[in-house]
Amino acid sequence: MSSFILRRLWQMIPTMLGVVLLVFFLFSFVGGDPAYLLAGKISNKEQIENIRTQLGINQPYYVQLWIFIKQILTGDFGVSWATNEPVSHIIATRIGPSLTVLIPIMIIEAVLAVLVALGVAYVRGSLTDRAIMVICTVAMSVSLLVYIIIVGQYVLAYQFGWFPVQGWGESFSENLFHYSLLPILLGVAVGIAPNTRLYRTFILDEINQDYVRTARAKGLSEHKVMLKHVLRNALIPIITNLMIYLPSLLIGHFLIERFFSIPGIGREVILAVERSDFPVIKAITVYVAAATMLSNLAADLLYKAVDPRVQLK
Amino acid sequence: MKATIKHLLVCAAIITTTSTTAAIAAKPTPDMNKVFHYQFPVAETGFDPAQANDLYSNTVMEALFEPMLTYDYLARPSKLAPRTADLPVMSEAGKVYTFKIRPGTLFTDDPAFKGKPRELVAEDYIFSIKRLADPKLHSQWRYLVEGKILGIAEAIKTATKSGKFDYNQKIAGLEALDKYTLKVTLEAPDFNYPYILAMPTFGALAREVVEHYGIDIPAHPVGTGPYRLDKWARSSLISLIANPVYRGHVWSYTAQEKGDEELVKAMQGKLLPTVGRIEIAIMEEDQARLLAFQSGELDMFQLEGPLAPKVMDGAVLKPEFAATGAKLSRIIDPEIQYPYLSTRDPTIGGMSKERIALRRAIFLAYDDTEEIRIVHNSQAEALDYPIPPGVVGYLPGYRSVNRTNLPLAKALLDKFGYKVGADGFRTTPQGKPLVIKYTSRPDSLGRQQEEMWQKTFNAIKIRMESDKKKFPEILKAEKACQLQMRTNRWIADFPDGDNFMQLFYSKNIGQSNNSCTDVPEYDALYEKAMVMPAGPERDKLYVDMARVLEYYGAHRISMARARNMVMQSHVMGYKKHPILLADWLYIDMEKPKGEKQ
Amino acid sequence: MTAPQYQASPGLWTLAWRRLIADRLAMISLVVVMAFFALMVASGTGLIAAKWADEVAVGYAPPSLFGTPATAVKNATSVSTTEPAENLYPGTVKDPLADEIAELKVQLGAQPGGGAKSSVGAGSTPLNDEIDYKDLDLGDLKVVDPIGAELAEILATTTAAVEKPRVDSLPFGADKWGHDVILKVIKGSETSIFVGLAAALVATIIGTILGAVSGYYGGWIDDFLNWFYSIFTAIPYLLLILAIAAVLNQKGVTTIVMILGLTGWTGVYRLVRAEYIKHSTREYVQAADAIGASNMRRMFIHIFPNVSHISLVQLSVHTVGFIKSEVILSFLGFGVPVDKVSWGSMLGEAQNELILGYWWQLAAATIAMAILVTAFSMFTDALRDALDPKIK
Repeated sequence: MSSFILRRLWQMIPTMLGVVLLVFFLFSFVGGDPAYLLAGKISNKEQIENIRTQLGINQPYYVQLWIFIKQILTGDFGVSWATNEPVSHIIATRIGPSLTVLIPIMIIEAVLAVLVALGVAYVRGSLTDRAIMVICTVAMSVSLLVYIIIVGQYVLAYQFGWFPVQGWGESFSENLFHYSLLPILLGVAVGIAPNTRLYRTFILDEINQDYVRTARAKGLSEHKVMLKHVLRNALIPIITNLMIYLPSLLIGHFLIERFFSIPGIGREVILAVERSDFPVIKAITVYVAAATMLSNLAADLLYKAVDPRVQLK
Repeated sequence: MKATIKHLLVCAAIITTTSTTAAIAAKPTPDMNKVFHYQFPVAETGFDPAQANDLYSNTVMEALFEPMLTYDYLARPSKLAPRTADLPVMSEAGKVYTFKIRPGTLFTDDPAFKGKPRELVAEDYIFSIKRLADPKLHSQWRYLVEGKILGIAEAIKTATKSGKFDYNQKIAGLEALDKYTLKVTLEAPDFNYPYILAMPTFGALAREVVEHYGIDIPAHPVGTGPYRLDKWARSSLISLIANPVYRGHVWSYTAQEKGDEELVKAMQGKLLPTVGRIEIAIMEEDQARLLAFQSGELDMFQLEGPLAPKVMDGAVLKPEFAATGAKLSRIIDPEIQYPYLSTRDPTIGGMSKERIALRRAIFLAYDDTEEIRIVHNSQAEALDYPIPPGVVGYLPGYRSVNRTNLPLAKALLDKFGYKVGADGFRTTPQGKPLVIKYTSRPDSLGRQQEEMWQKTFNAIKIRMESDKKKFPEILKAEKACQLQMRTNRWIADFPDGDNFMQLFYSKNIGQSNNSCTDVPEYDALYEKAMVMPAGPERDKLYVDMARVLEYYGAHRISMARARNMVMQSHVMGYKKHPILLADWLYIDMEKPKGEKQ
Repeated sequence: MTAPQYQASPGLWTLAWRRLIADRLAMISLVVVMAFFALMVASGTGLIAAKWADEVAVGYAPPSLFGTPATAVKNATSVSTTEPAENLYPGTVKDPLADEIAELKVQLGAQPGGGAKSSVGAGSTPLNDEIDYKDLDLGDLKVVDPIGAELAEILATTTAAVEKPRVDSLPFGADKWGHDVILKVIKGSETSIFVGLAAALVATIIGTILGAVSGYYGGWIDDFLNWFYSIFTAIPYLLLILAIAAVLNQKGVTTIVMILGLTGWTGVYRLVRAEYIKHSTREYVQAADAIGASNMRRMFIHIFPNVSHISLVQLSVHTVGFIKSEVILSFLGFGVPVDKVSWGSMLGEAQNELILGYWWQLAAATIAMAILVTAFSMFTDALRDALDPKIK
C-alpha cells in the first residue's frame, strides 16, 4: 500500500514538471509583456526596462524557468502583480468561500442525482426512464449556468425576496445558512441533469454484472438487489468521480461566485485573467493540477479500500 | 496671468475659511448606527497612494489619506479648496508654490506610533512625494513628479543606478521651511500643479508606518482622513470606520446649479462625518448591483450603461423608480472618447491630401449618436471639442467639421480616387488593396464599438480588419505607434483643458499621446498655449488646435459618458463631483439604518 | 460499409446500422442533425441568411408572432435626443467666457441653440449644414482646411440620401442593432456548428493518431505520449482554456477551433490507445506482419477499421461538447469576431437583455441550440449503443 502511494507520488514528478513547463511556455512565450500594464497610462522606456528587471522577465529563459521551479518548490509564488498580495495568501483566503458553496452543492447534487438515477435505473427501458433521460439531455444542452443564475437571482432573491440578492459575511454559519443558500440551490439545479445521466450509466453497468444476476437467481427481491448490491457497488465510481472533479469544480463555479459576490477562487481566476496577473494564474494552475493528481490518487486508494478486488499497480 | 490664478485661489479660500474656524471649535460625532452601504464594480488593488493606480483603490484612499488640497464640493467647473493646508501662495510665475499646513492634524492611531499621537507635518508630504519617485515601487504616478519637481529626475537616476532610493536625501524642489511650511519648486512654470497635488496620490503617509509594515503597506493605510480602514476582505468587502482623531469638516458650500439649494438646505453647517461606517462591497455583475440596490442592500450604486434602460428614461429616473424614493445624481464625466487614425501610420498617415481625405471620410461616415444610443444606451453625451464639460476650457457651442455625413464621406473617397474594386471594397488611389485595422479590447464594450465600426466601414466599402488586444498589449503597441486605429478614452486627472490638449502634442508620443498624433501645426500652437494660464486667450488657441486636428483627420472627438449615481431616499446631501472620487464623504443619512442580518 | 466484402456474417458497421435504424428516436435525431447540417451548408454558401447583417427593423423590435409587449417597444424607442449642452447646466455662475463663446458661435456659424451634434441621427442626413466647409477663415483664427475646396465642390453636387425605413416589428423580433433575429440564429448556427465540428475533427485526429502510435508501438513512445497526456489531464479543462485565453490576443474562428481542438484530444487518445494495445497483439495483425506489411500499413489499414467506431463516437461526442464550449468562450470574451455571429455571441449579448425584458434573442439562440444539442446527444448515445453492444 505505502509502496503504491510512494510510487504514485514519484510518478507525479514528471507530470508536474510537464505542467510547469507548459505553464511556463504559455506565459513566457505566448503571453504578453506585463511591464506595460504595471507602468500605467504614462510611462517611458527606462521605466518599462526597470519594471522588467524587477519582474525578472528580461533574464534568459532558463533563469526564469529556474526561478519558477524554485517558487513551486518553496510554495512561494511571490506577490500578485496587481495587488502585491502574496499569492499564497490569495489562495488560502479564497478557497474557503469556494468550498463553503461547492461542498454542499456536491453533496446535495450527488444525493439527489443518485436517487433519481436509481429510480430510473429500476424502471430502465420504460417510458419514464426514457422521458427523464430526454429531459436530462435537453437540460444539459441548455444548462448555460448563466441564465439559470440570472433568472434565479432575479426571481427568487429579488422578486420573491426569499434569499439575499448577494453578499458575503465573516462568520461561517452566516455565509453557509444565509448567503450561500441560493447559490447552492442554483448550483444544484445546474449540475443535477448531467450527473443523473452519468450515475445512471454507472448503475446500469453494475446491473449488468454477473453477481447481480447471481443475486437475483438466489431469489433476492429486486429492491434488495438494487439497494444492497447495485447501489453499494455503483457508489464507488460515483464517489471516485466526485473526488476527481472537485479541483476543477473549484474553478468551474466562477459565474455563481461573480453573480453572488462570493470571494472565491473561481472569481479570483477570472479577475487575474482580466488583469493579466500572471503570478496568480500560474500559481493557481500549478496548484490545481497538483490537487487534481492528488485527488486522483485518493480516489484510487478509496477504490481499493472499498473494493478489495481492485489491484493497485 | 498671475492675477487670474490668484483670483481663482482667493475665491476658493473665501468659501472655505468658514469651515476652518468651525472645525477647530468642535469635534465631529459620527453615529455608528449610520452605515453607508456602497459598491464597486471592480475589485480594489490596495491602499498605498504610490502603488495603487486603479480608480477604486484611489476612491477609498481619498477617505483615508489627505492631500494638502481638495475641491470645492459644489463649484463647477471644479475649484480647489484647502484640505490639510491653505491654498498655496504662488511665486516666480508659477514655478514655486508654498503651502502652509494647518497645525493639529493627527494621523489615526497605529502600533507604529507606539501609542503616541502623531501630528501631520511638512516632512510627511516630502516623504510621500519621494515615494512616488522610488523606482522600487514603480509607481504609475511617477510622471507627475519626474521632470516636474526640481531635483526628482536626478534622484531617480541615482536610485536606478544604485538600486536604492535614499529617503534622507534633500530634493531641491521639496523644502520644509519650518514644521508646517512646504515649498514646492518646479522645473518649469506650471499653473496646474496645485491640481496635481490635490490628487489622492499625494496623500500623506508617515514614514515610521511605511518602515514598520514594509511590503505589506497597501494593507495598512494609516492616514489623517475622516475614515480609517476597519476590515478588509480583499476583492470582497472594504469596511471603513470614522477616524476618532479626525478634526472634522464643515459642510459649507454655496449653491451654484439647479438643485443645489436643496442640498445646501439639508446640509449647511453640519460637522462631518456623521456617518459612522462605510461598507463597500465588490459586485461585479450589473444585475447583482441593481437588485441589491432595489432590495435595500445598498444605499447608493453607480448605474452602468447596460442596465440603464431598466432604471432611466433618457437622463432622468423612470417614474416607477422615482416613486420608490430613489434619487439620481447625474453628471457627464470629465472625459473624452475619441476614435483616432494614426497620422504616423504608413498606409493611412501623412499629410497628403488623399490621406487626409481618407481619414476624414472615415470620421464623416461614423455616426456617434448611434453609438450613444445603442452601445451606451443613451448614457453618454455627444461631444465635439477635445475638452469635456466640467473642465476649464470647455466650449459648449463648439461643433466639429467632421460630423456624421455619410454621402459626403462616400463622395470624398470617390473624389480622391479610392475606387471600389471587383471584390466590392475600395482600393487606394494607386490601386493597392486598402485594409484598416481596428484595435479594441476583448470586452463587451470593445466588441460593440467594433461592431459600430464594422458597420461604418461596410457603409463606405472599406475593408476593416479586427484586432483584439488586451489592454497592456494595446498600451505597448501604442507607445511604439503600431496601431492604425482605436477608440481611445481619457478621463481628466485634473479639471484643466491642458490635461486634454497635451494628449495630441507630438512630443508626448510614447507617453500620453497614445494616438501618435503628429501634426506640426498643432505642436506650434500647443507650445504657445502651454505657457498660458486658463483664459480667453488660451481658449482662442485651443479652438485653433481643435480645428487643426479636425482638418487633418487625426481623430474625432465623439462623446463623454454620463455617470449616474442612484441613491436611496435617506441619503442626504449627495452630488456627484466630477473630480473628487470619494464624494460620499460629504453626505449624511436621514435615519440610522440598521445593519442587515 | 467498410466491412470487408468476403466476410459471410454482416460486419460491425452493417450490424450497427441495422441497430440504429431500428431505434426510432435515433433516426428522428439523425434527421434533425442532418437538417442543421444542411442549414449550415446553405448559410455558408450564401443561399440563406446572407443578408443577416442588414438592419431591417428598429432596435429591439419585438416579435410579432408572440404578441407585442408594450413596455419593450417603449424602451426600445424612448431614446433621449442629446440635449444642447448649455441647458444641462443652467447653473448660477456666470460663464466667464460667455462673450467669447458668443463671438465664436457667430464666427463658426453655429445654431443659436448651439448644442452638440444632436440633429444628426438616424434617418436622412442633412447636407446643407450650418458650417460652410469652404470657408473657415475665422477672423483672427488662421487655420486652413487643407481639403476645404474639394469638400465644397462635393457638397455642391451631392444630394442627401434617405435611409431605408425600418419596420417596427418582425416575426421573431430584432436585436439591438435591428438585425432580424431568425436570420441571425441561422447565421449563428453556421458558425457554431462549424466550430464544433472542426474542433472535434482536430481533437479526434490528434487523439487518434497519438493514441494509435502510443498503443501500437508501446515502449518509450508510449511513455512519452502518456506523459504528455497526463499533463493535459492534470490541468482542469476550464483552467487550461482560461490560461490560454489569458495569453492569447487574436480571436478568429480558427483560434477558437485550435484552442478547443488542442485541449480536447485527451479523451480520444485514451480510448484509441487502449484499443490499439488490444489489437496490436491480435492474430490478424501478426498475419499482416508476416506478409511484410509496414508499421504504418498495419496501424492505419489493418487495425484502424476495427477501432474507427471509437473515433466516430468520440467525434460526435466532442462536437456536442465543443458547441457548448464555444458558448462559454464567448461569454468570457473570447468568442468569434464581430463580423461573425454564433450562438455563443448571441447568448453573450443577451445576458443583460433578459432583465430588460428583451427575451427573444436569448430564446431563439437557446431553442436552436437546445434542439441541435439534444438531437445530437441522443444520436450519439444511440450510435454508441449500436456500435458497442456490450454497453446497454
